Amino acid sequence: MRQPSARSRRLAAAAISLALAMGAAACSGPQDNDAKADGASKGTPQKGGKLTVLNTEPQSDFDPARLYTSGGGNVPSLVFRTLTTRNRANGAAGTKVVPDLATDTGRPNADATEWTYTLKEGLKYEDGTPITSADIKYGVERSFAAELSGGAPYLRDWLVGGADYQGPYKDPKGLASIETPDDKTIVFKLRKPEGDFPFLATATQFAPVPKAKDDGAKYEEHPVSSGPYKVVKNEDDGRRLLLERNPNWSEKTDDQRHAYPDTIDVQSGLDSAVINQRLSTSSGADAAAVTTDTNLGPAELAQIGSDKALAARVGTGHFGYTNYLAFNPKVKPFDNLKVRQAISYAINRTSVINAAGGSALAEPATTFLPDQAAFGYTPYDHFPAGKTGNPAKAKELLKEAGYPNGLTISLTHSTVQNRETSPEVATAVQESLKQAGITVKLVGLEANAFNEARWSVTKSPGFFLSRWGADWPSGGPFLAPIFDGRQIVKDGSNFNHAQFDDPAVNKEIDEINKLTDLAAAAKRWGALDRKIGEQALDVPLFHPVYKRLYGKDVKNIVISDWTGVLDVSQVAVK
Amino acid sequence: MSTVPDLPASGAKAGAATVVPAAASDARQAWRRLRRRPSAVISTSVLGLLVVLAVAAPLLAAAEGQDANTYHDALVDSARGGVPIGSFGGVSGDHWLGVEPGTGRDLFVRLLYGARVSLLVAVGATVVQVLIGIAVGLAAGLGNRLLDTVLSRFTDVMVALPMLVLAIALTAVVSADFPRPLLLILVIGLLNWGATSRIVRAQTLTLKQLDFVAAARLAGSGRWRVARRELLPSLAAPVITYAAILLPINMVIEASLSFLGVGVKPPTPSWGQMLSSAQTWFRADPMYVLLPAGMLFVTVLAFTALGDAVRAALDPREAVRLRVGTRASSRGRTARTARAAASEAAAAADLRKDTSS
Repeated sequence: MRQPSARSRRLAAAAISLALAMGAAACSGPQDNDAKADGASKGTPQKGGKLTVLNTEPQSDFDPARLYTSGGGNVPSLVFRTLTTRNRANGAAGTKVVPDLATDTGRPNADATEWTYTLKEGLKYEDGTPITSADIKYGVERSFAAELSGGAPYLRDWLVGGADYQGPYKDPKGLASIETPDDKTIVFKLRKPEGDFPFLATATQFAPVPKAKDDGAKYEEHPVSSGPYKVVKNEDDGRRLLLERNPNWSEKTDDQRHAYPDTIDVQSGLDSAVINQRLSTSSGADAAAVTTDTNLGPAELAQIGSDKALAARVGTGHFGYTNYLAFNPKVKPFDNLKVRQAISYAINRTSVINAAGGSALAEPATTFLPDQAAFGYTPYDHFPAGKTGNPAKAKELLKEAGYPNGLTISLTHSTVQNRETSPEVATAVQESLKQAGITVKLVGLEANAFNEARWSVTKSPGFFLSRWGADWPSGGPFLAPIFDGRQIVKDGSNFNHAQFDDPAVNKEIDEINKLTDLAAAAKRWGALDRKIGEQALDVPLFHPVYKRLYGKDVKNIVISDWTGVLDVSQVAVK
Repeated sequence: MSTVPDLPASGAKAGAATVVPAAASDARQAWRRLRRRPSAVISTSVLGLLVVLAVAAPLLAAAEGQDANTYHDALVDSARGGVPIGSFGGVSGDHWLGVEPGTGRDLFVRLLYGARVSLLVAVGATVVQVLIGIAVGLAAGLGNRLLDTVLSRFTDVMVALPMLVLAIALTAVVSADFPRPLLLILVIGLLNWGATSRIVRAQTLTLKQLDFVAAARLAGSGRWRVARRELLPSLAAPVITYAAILLPINMVIEASLSFLGVGVKPPTPSWGQMLSSAQTWFRADPMYVLLPAGMLFVTVLAFTALGDAVRAALDPREAVRLRVGTRASSRGRTARTARAAASEAAAAADLRKDTSS
């Protein structure tokens, strides 16, 4: 009962890249990325100039209570500072949580049910008034108001009394589980241990909102900035956003945001092909332009391949994400472990990856967890299919399962051409299973019907394409919604496609959530993933990789593995 | 005569007047005129060749040694988005027209099998449209005023419906097990017969007034017999003409539906589906786009040229007028045009002689 609505909303919106819908950004394969960043950003970055951001998705919600972001988002993070934030660094280092408004990432009590934060000295809003812990409490409380819904569902689930709280407009007494003993201290009381709380505190709901300036749903038109930029213009419901320097923001209290450009002009509602074309041409103002939600498609990548100057302006982004084949073991013949194993052996990941855009845009996956240390990635390949599948082994297993003459199954996919759950990927799966004597009938559903089918407990098909991305780089939000038996949602959006309910797994999830040592927790998430993998409840296919093009005058490219897109707070145009 | 679908009664009547003399007995005359037109000969040859290619697809695939669905992962450059390795989209002795980006499937074979779907759906849908159009149009033209009003208004509604939107909705809700080409034939055929029906009705109303029909009625023929023996043969000319115009339209609709992802199911190829996947590749791999686009272009052009030729052949007066206009505007081809006009005039004279005898 926890993630459903908001998560489904988020995932449904993720047409091309998940990162896009979450307002997440980041990038850059640690390996080749550094080299490219060096090449493209000669000379020290200087303050000044105007940065243009070209996006497909308009910033139609700009209220910190309504934003569903990962790590505070891209453009929102320029205006809203939060208790903690993501580390603005390339690659794996960018998956760390670091302090933002607070002096540290949070001090837990013994069982991680109580988190205490102290604010830094000298924090000010754009109008010069000081930021207090009461403003942060008020910001969190606002997100409980029905008219400001849209944020991640965790607060309501985790905070004591959160499930019934109606927000400060209906309930001015506030939420008792958030205490502010003085102007600098804030304490959160949770109803269960949550070692991941510092990750949650990166969300914009943890941005301060001055009660005197709050006018409910209208607040997003002129939110009070705590970050390096303030909103000067917000036109057409977030299609055009103009940000200028906030004179009261100080680098002394913020070691994460650089804020090199003087102004930032966010233009959205553009077609992704148009964005990539404008960035590649880089004429006029587009030379100092970046995008935080558009990546290069396979054809665009092929086009760029022959142009060295252009190739030097492509950043590589990783984001914790897995595309997989889901089984519903309640449907025959997928109740048979041997059938699921046979399919796992038969899959030709080379074909599947080519269908997903080729090796530059997808990495083969044999684990459910993304291949990043932050998630607790523990390599395993229980049913080694090699690069191109092992049809002989698959046939053998099918024989043992009682299908010596092969079998016919249906694969449900979406008709949206997103190269993730799309006909191209489904056809590649169909072709590789054919080698093992498995005839696959393709059932293509329109986007809404597809999501309705795969998120339903009762109507879920037996075998379908699915995908999953976490709200922050940790094993918890990645594994729990998929494999925690208590998170099977009977009526609503169910992500536990296998309807897997193993008391031992549920218990281990609870145990890991108690850990506040994130490295130790990651290790156990990895071990848990490896153990669940033995059941062949899914066939991991690939982890997407994002290629981000940027304008020719753009310097200081930072793409973290948290978001997978260019960090706009680091970019310089002079 | 009226070939324009959205010209209602007035256009149809004017057209009817010119077509009236062309009775069934003139079929041979029309055929002779048609054969004399180079555009008719060329377009028929092109279409004939396409049909042969489509029918012989398995043989030609065997000759090349490929099939439509086998992946060739080694033939695409995975690191560069899956673009085919080699020039012109990976053209080689093994793959005569190159391979598809991302999959390495053989484009030659996919184009041939795509022709099957495109031609089958276009012809099938046209047959459905013509049959329904004749049935409704005849019933409206021959029936009493109430029946005419009801059927005509129903036809108006069908013509006014946003065809593509409905087709998308229908193809999306029908069970996945239903054969897709048949579904496409039915959806396009059942939604787009309105214009045919209007033409048939207008023609019927005109024919009904003529002496030979009245004579048949007086001789005691029933409505059904009149429709079958007297009206249908006279309706052939406008209906065949309009069918020739419907064919390319239907082919484009099939391509549009497949382009939008509600046409044939993968991995079955159709030209529209190929165009759809090729749309982003126009710069990185132009061959991939040009092949299905070229095939579609040539086929639609051939159908259109044939339709135009058929119309002209069945409508001598119109043909002569058009030719005269052409001569005045293009001096370079005067002699040839004049010769053509002369032959058309002779044909028209033949026709008049026939009808008067």
